[in-house]
Amino acid sequence: MKGRLITRAFLLAAAFVTFFPLYWILITSFKTQLDIVVNPTYLPWADFMPTLEGWKWLLTEARADVIRAITNSLIVSGGSAVIATMLGAAAGYGLTRFQYRWRFWRNEDIAFWFISQRMLPPVAIVLAFLLMFRWLSLLDTQVGLTIAYTGFAIPFTVWIMRDAFAQVPLELEESAGVDGASAAGIFFRISLPLALPGVVGSMLFAFVFAWNEYLFALMLTFQEATTVPLLLASRITSFGTHWDQLSALTLTNLIPAAILGIMLERFLIRNRTEGSLK
Amino acid sequence: MLALSIFPLIFSLGLTFTNVNLFRRTPLRFVGLENWARIFSDEALLETLINTVIFVGGGVAIQYALGLALAVALNQGLREQRLMRVLFLLPMMVSPIAVGFIIGRMVFSEGFGPINDMLDALGLPAVAWVTSPGVAKWTIILVDTWQWTPLMMLLILVGLQGIPGEPIQAARVDGASEWQIFRHIVFPLLLPVSITAILIRALEAFKIIDIIRVVTGGGPGRATESVTAYVYNVGAKQGDLAYAASAAYVLLFVVIGVSFLALYVMRRVQARYE
Repeated sequence: MKGRLITRAFLLAAAFVTFFPLYWILITSFKTQLDIVVNPTYLPWADFMPTLEGWKWLLTEARADVIRAITNSLIVSGGSAVIATMLGAAAGYGLTRFQYRWRFWRNEDIAFWFISQRMLPPVAIVLAFLLMFRWLSLLDTQVGLTIAYTGFAIPFTVWIMRDAFAQVPLELEESAGVDGASAAGIFFRISLPLALPGVVGSMLFAFVFAWNEYLFALMLTFQEATTVPLLLASRITSFGTHWDQLSALTLTNLIPAAILGIMLERFLIRNRTEGSLK
Repeated sequence: MLALSIFPLIFSLGLTFTNVNLFRRTPLRFVGLENWARIFSDEALLETLINTVIFVGGGVAIQYALGLALAVALNQGLREQRLMRVLFLLPMMVSPIAVGFIIGRMVFSEGFGPINDMLDALGLPAVAWVTSPGVAKWTIILVDTWQWTPLMMLLILVGLQGIPGEPIQAARVDGASEWQIFRHIVFPLLLPVSITAILIRALEAFKIIDIIRVVTGGGPGRATESVTAYVYNVGAKQGDLAYAASAAYVLLFVVIGVSFLALYVMRRVQARYE
């Protein structure tokens, strides 16, 4: 009982720290520029008069841009999350179930090679991407950005899926094999469903990564395929920051990702496997 | 995959032996190891490298501890845990640009930020979040932690799902305390997932730049400038692409070294339990 109390107190404290900044974004989207930069104000009506200016901008003047940016973001992030997770699952499964040897390379080395792809700072490779994409006519296209983000996410999805498959008991696969299931059948009917939390975790990760990526979107798109982070950055100008518009857009950008989180949350938790072992 | 990874690597390696500059229209020339010689006398690079290691070491350690605690707390069957799981994931879904501006700049603002205002209301002294070199480092770590603890929680929560229930139930029957169960059963079984989570987060943290550029601009002085921010300044602002690529390669070597070391240590810890 005491343990539960401590757990709840910890969660409550964490919830406050998590939500206060989100609350701050919310109320900032209803503030005038003056209410923002003079003194901190906390409660609408009591502290400051809420205004709808930021949201009005979002729904009228910027509407077409916002819709296009969100559509692009959804396609690019969704596409790269699905592809990266599928390829990550294939590679992760291979790395846990088979022993590879290529000269002195072992499974561990292959896994490390995968993750090492994420070690170079993005500023150092973005130029190479620019040249490569111009040559392939992939600049300012959804396909191009999807390919880039898929490439960036794969090292991580491989590792996440490798761990997920490593936790699937081998006995289950073996007994399915004894019962006459094919290798593909074992993978799709036994291993993949049991690794579902990993699949969901990997998808969420890859989606969020692409959803918020800024530097490559900036360099590789300019008009047709621009994503939400670019629109967000455009609210910060040399004449000052449009705080209310920035906040309203941030919340709008958060909604699709949050919906995805709500939809996928139930699959993060797996029913215990003991039953299937008996 | 090969094209996406090898070409940029070779391309930027090639750059390091040249004098390519964005702004100066000098003819392309191969300068041999000139850029690499410059690296060794570059004190700014050394300072930003130390800053980066502080951000990665401090930030990732805090994020792992918090993420682990949250994941375990949200895996105990509390009534409100489903709602909380989604809510605790939200910070990583907020665009880093917005996190930098609205949270880093406004919430931590020394002039009009609510944190100093609340400290004041409690009778506590104001904190120089961005103007004190020592504190500014922590401000960066705090903002980074707010945004990325959810990722740790997500990956560990996934890992918790794969832990078999029998040994835990058996230990409970034998009268083990919850802490003993966590320490001797759950935690060792979480080690592979922990290694992945820490590695993923550390590799991203090594490239920290957005938050820094927005919140402190690398200052005061150079107190919060990371290597990536330094590379960006040298490459994009001063136009010295060749030297920027060389500095980026130094970071790459450091990251590879640290990753090898970290993986080695974590595998040793893991081996102790097996």
